[in-house]
Amino acid sequence: MDTEALLAEMRALRDSVAGITDTALASRDGLIIAADTATIDPDNLAALAASALGVTQRMAAEAGHGTLREIVVSSAGGHIVTYPVGRRALLAVVGDPGLDLPRLFRESRAVLAVLDQLLTGAGSRPVAAE
Amino acid sequence: MTESQEPVFPFRATGGPRRMTAGPLGEMLTEYAARGLSGTVRVIGDPGGLVHFSQGGVVAVETPGAPGPELLLSRPGQISGSSWALAYAAAAAGGQLTAELVRRKLIGAARLEALLRIALADAMFVLTAGQVDSCEAEVAEPVCLLPLDPPADVSWLLAETSRRLAVLTTLPSQLVPDRDRVTAKARPLDQRARLDDAQRDVLALANGRRTARDLAFALGRGVFAVTGELDRMHAAGLLAIGPRRGAAPVPPLTGPLVTRAETAAAGHRAGTAGQAEAVREISPPRELPRRRAAGRGGAHHAEAAPSGSALLRVLRLGFSNPQPSDGGH
Repeated sequence: MDTEALLAEMRALRDSVAGITDTALASRDGLIIAADTATIDPDNLAALAASALGVTQRMAAEAGHGTLREIVVSSAGGHIVTYPVGRRALLAVVGDPGLDLPRLFRESRAVLAVLDQLLTGAGSRPVAAE
Repeated sequence: MTESQEPVFPFRATGGPRRMTAGPLGEMLTEYAARGLSGTVRVIGDPGGLVHFSQGGVVAVETPGAPGPELLLSRPGQISGSSWALAYAAAAAGGQLTAELVRRKLIGAARLEALLRIALADAMFVLTAGQVDSCEAEVAEPVCLLPLDPPADVSWLLAETSRRLAVLTTLPSQLVPDRDRVTAKARPLDQRARLDDAQRDVLALANGRRTARDLAFALGRGVFAVTGELDRMHAAGLLAIGPRRGAAPVPPLTGPLVTRAETAAAGHRAGTAGQAEAVREISPPRELPRRRAAGRGGAHHAEAAPSGSALLRVLRLGFSNPQPSDGGH
């Protein structure tokens, strides 16, 4: 897979939303696919995010709430938002206490769709004549 | 405000041509103050935020662009996490947190008022230094955790904002607080010994990923103060400025999906070719990383349900859900 293209999307998301400090793209098994992180251990983050996603999906199902959209963990020192990416991956977004959550929710949808496309190859298009 | 005097949005105070006033946002806030507004003005933009009024005075400003008073109060040497939590539990619901902090002797009344005023001015500076697309007022008693009492006069607040914007435009480094990332430069031992604590704190965090805004959050300090510090440190050769954080174009939700690399490249080519752009074919991906059963090589764990295997790996790493001790940042 095109890791550089994945990282370009993740870095662009960090560029466009103030307060994002790190992002990690992982499989649902908790294995890292691509990481744009500074001091956070991406492997630990991926494993925990996958575990949390699995549990919270079951909670959503238990409540009859349908498809899980995101998990938000808010602490004194910041936020972690975890999104499903398609059916086989997830994106964890770590931010400081000022993370612009409404902007993140708006900006992330297109990014998640592109990440899924890059991971699965869905929506491939033939090269047009230039 | 007459029709001919309607403020013009969008507006950005800095970034050329440089402005040194709060512009149309300041005009609207002045108007709301004159009307004795009790409510909240939502400023839509980047970073945008909320300006809380009580009877025409400003009691708080919230924005993702600047640390609020809660963060400023919880940095090391101020109020510990546990003390804050106790005060919060006792008084926040009743809107009496400010008084409770003073009653518990966690901070003096005068110092608290000064800090709230500083935080408010810093947030307003950040709001007006950024992009303002529009603003709208909601009339209702404002709800905020630590309101400034007595409220700040809008004319004072806007004058302070203008002063800060003027300083920003004259910085030798021309640093943009929410855009320019900074990186610590390698320095010789004798130079390291002459640094003060604030500079050391900044250099420890200046990793090329943080802007002045980000450093302000990490340090629990005001954005304006950190910006000034970074400018001085840049002049002293301690920091490099760049790369600049930008708002990358967001691919549309409808229609064909386009990666950011393609969007950027197409934008560049459209400027020269002026034609519809080709879209490169997405090559079929290799398999995503997967856990393999034990005994088939590698250091992976046995296959299990996705969440179960991830948790198993976390437990084997010795990661046991530690709870941070109090002490703020």
